[in-house]
Amino acid sequence: MLIHLKGGRIVDPVNGRDEAGDLWIENDRIVTEPSGKLPDDVYDLSGKIVMAGAIDIHSHIAGGNVNSARLLLPEMHTNWLPNIPTLPLSTAKWSTFETGTIYASMGFTTVIEPAIVPHGALQAHLELSDIPIIDKGILTVLGNDDFLLSLLRDGEGPAAVADYVASTLATSHGVGVKCINAGGAAAFKYNLRTFNLDDVVPFYGLSSRQIVEALQQAVEDLRIPHPLHLHANNLGIPGNVATALATIEAARGERLHLAHLQFYSYGTEGDHGFSSAAAELAEAVNRAPNVTVDVGQIMFRQTVTVSCDTLRQYNGSAMARPKKSIIYDGDSNGGGIVPYLYRENDFANAVQWACGLELFLLIDDPWRVFFTTDHPNGAPFTTYPEIFALIMSREARAEAIARLPQEAAAVTTLPSIGREYSYNEVAVMTRAAPAKLLGLKDRGHLGEGALADIAVYSPDKDLAKMFRFAHLVFKDGELVVRDGRVSHYRWGRALKVHPGYDSAIDRRLSGYYEKHFGHSRDCYAVKEHFLPRAEAFAEVACAR
Amino acid sequence: MSEAEINGKPASLAAAAERSAEILTQARMPLFAGLGTDVAGARASILLAERLRGAYDHMYSSQIFADLDVVRQAGLMITTPSEARLRADVLLFVGKTPPDVWPAMIEWLAPYNNPPLDIASTPRKLLSIAPTRGAPKIDGLAIETLDAPDLHTTLAALRARLTGKSLRSTKNTLRKLDEFVEILKNAHFGVAVWCSESEGLDSLAIEMLHGLLLDLNKTTRFSGLPLGPPRAGANASGVLQTSGWMTGFPMRTSFGRGFPEHDSWQFDAERLVDSGEADAALWISAYDSSAPPWKRNIPLIALMASSITFHREPQVRIHVGRPGVDHDCVEFMREVGSLTGRRASHQSEKPSVARVLDEITKYLGEDS
Repeated sequence: MLIHLKGGRIVDPVNGRDEAGDLWIENDRIVTEPSGKLPDDVYDLSGKIVMAGAIDIHSHIAGGNVNSARLLLPEMHTNWLPNIPTLPLSTAKWSTFETGTIYASMGFTTVIEPAIVPHGALQAHLELSDIPIIDKGILTVLGNDDFLLSLLRDGEGPAAVADYVASTLATSHGVGVKCINAGGAAAFKYNLRTFNLDDVVPFYGLSSRQIVEALQQAVEDLRIPHPLHLHANNLGIPGNVATALATIEAARGERLHLAHLQFYSYGTEGDHGFSSAAAELAEAVNRAPNVTVDVGQIMFRQTVTVSCDTLRQYNGSAMARPKKSIIYDGDSNGGGIVPYLYRENDFANAVQWACGLELFLLIDDPWRVFFTTDHPNGAPFTTYPEIFALIMSREARAEAIARLPQEAAAVTTLPSIGREYSYNEVAVMTRAAPAKLLGLKDRGHLGEGALADIAVYSPDKDLAKMFRFAHLVFKDGELVVRDGRVSHYRWGRALKVHPGYDSAIDRRLSGYYEKHFGHSRDCYAVKEHFLPRAEAFAEVACAR
Repeated sequence: MSEAEINGKPASLAAAAERSAEILTQARMPLFAGLGTDVAGARASILLAERLRGAYDHMYSSQIFADLDVVRQAGLMITTPSEARLRADVLLFVGKTPPDVWPAMIEWLAPYNNPPLDIASTPRKLLSIAPTRGAPKIDGLAIETLDAPDLHTTLAALRARLTGKSLRSTKNTLRKLDEFVEILKNAHFGVAVWCSESEGLDSLAIEMLHGLLLDLNKTTRFSGLPLGPPRAGANASGVLQTSGWMTGFPMRTSFGRGFPEHDSWQFDAERLVDSGEADAALWISAYDSSAPPWKRNIPLIALMASSITFHREPQVRIHVGRPGVDHDCVEFMREVGSLTGRRASHQSEKPSVARVLDEITKYLGEDS
């Protein structure tokens, strides 16, 4: 199958293109114009914007905690409109099927679920298998697990930690390692109610900092492309910018990804003791080239917060709206599901909203700041189009700021920022940079040999409309979306890394599981034949 | 044994699948019930239910909803059996002890051992709140028991004593309550264990228990461990998870109006059949030999792992393998509280539920 995309504006920062031009697709790849062959299909894209398929590095789309949120909040996703489903379960709101459909219709072709504990990996991959169209992957959560904390307490060296990390990635099929409030969930089980970078987990005598450093080193030793993905301590607390700044320092110049930084950008100034410190934090990120961040923008609406940071979620459950939460002390991290309503006329929520936008606009390098809402924690991913409008248009932002409580706008720098993202910068932030961050050489750009994951948009004064309904989307060279509507399902793969390790750790872990948990470790392993479709995985090479 | 029977006569799987497809497509409201099957079987059932605009339910739904209704109403604090095993210095058993649920689970929680992840790692304290003579017994271990003829009031009384609210009762009762409150308050990481099957432990009592857990967590750590339906409940918890990600809702969901609609009364299988709303049913019992609970006679397709006798022979009976016995499967393992993989213990040629449903799907017309 040969497809000719003709005359669109190609925005491809990796290959330095921002110009009207052509693209050719042969089967699942982008190719150079073939001589002497006629295309099977030609699409005239004059006036359209052509980018690689977008990649979301941090969106909670699967796993036990997300599923608990579905079951906790049936009222949040009830459908009312009688409709004949055109594709299986396409009328099932917040289902895995709807998730893939909406992502694809916005031009996203790869999405990473960033918080799966090893014991929940099988369910997560079953859920991912039922997300149509897009490729996906999980980050495996470590850092509150007894085995790791015991290794560190007993002073076993970096090699043992790296072996353990690699072995856990192998059974859980993760594409990277996530650490969520390192030691915090374990400390909460020992009844600690706050947990800072240098606080110590009882029983193990380890600080959060030591756990982060050990995991950071293991990720580097194993040559995993994606740096350690860290959910830092003290999420959501006034004055926590100090924690974020200390965490950047703690990286000691080594690679580190800080997740949903907006939730750590709070100062304590003003009458409410709550203010934006995003400008200061953005400055620190600008000065630390080893650090990447994603924003975790909030938007004003009902949502639900879903997190493995049980300590934080327990503390936040007093603010639940509606007033019901699940707090789950799991085998390692567990989870907390706390519904929340972000309100435009609420002072704190308005400051949070501004903080996110300040980070987007004050971090200079679009290669190091990533586009997320920490779905669904800051807002559902369905709000992405509105956020594109806010970062690309000063005017859209001014209108939104005018609706905020003015005392809130006063404790942020947002009203004074004039920057507007260009298409090229959007393509860096949502395509090129995520591919680089995850080590995905085959996507994020439109050069020869790349996967033909392509999103075509119709420019519109209404930027949100433009990004909500892609004109065309190709996944692996297959046309799956036309005018924002998914035509049919295809099934993507889960990306994973498989770093080598000394298998002696597997025997040791088998013994540990038999003794501690009283059953075989094997029951948690994600085996391909348990998943509904063959070729469920694609491997990402471990070498940088 | 034949692969299947149609009207009691031996038939091939293909013929049985074709006849099943006929019955299901002719129905106005086909019902997919029982659902005693692994995750793959549940997936296939839900996809088929949607395609035929039917409803689905699980044979152990009422036990699932006893806990889930509390979650949806008030939330819940929960933990895993492994955490209870490794960490709990106080185990609080709530409710009468159904004999077929408890012994193995109590053994699993390792009450004889000191909790290795507890800092003090002293012998566990075992408590029980239950009607007289309903308390669990563990050989050689003392269980402190609070007699609770009515669980609602006893749990409420405990909360009142814990939070310093006034409570009128006899001196003896108050003293006993306070002894309990002392132990609960001083737990490092306590775990309340219950089975929603227990007599007198309805949703209101579980919600009161949840309130007690919230009160305790103001100063210490205490979590909950619902054991779910008895005998692992034919993978009810696994079907619940599968249903959750596929439709957003638990079982007792219908596609009659073209989108998933959940109502735990309206789409109760037994009610749907006995009221005459469902006019054909596909019943799945691949774990055990349960027959449908309804009384009304409607066209029935039964996917069974054993050849039990029905009150009325189903129109179609298909013999399926047992998950984890005849074929590998993914199912909810309550000993660890998550979906796990299980290898076949006696691999056989018997088809899985998912395979049979795929076969039936092949015979559906284009427009259904």
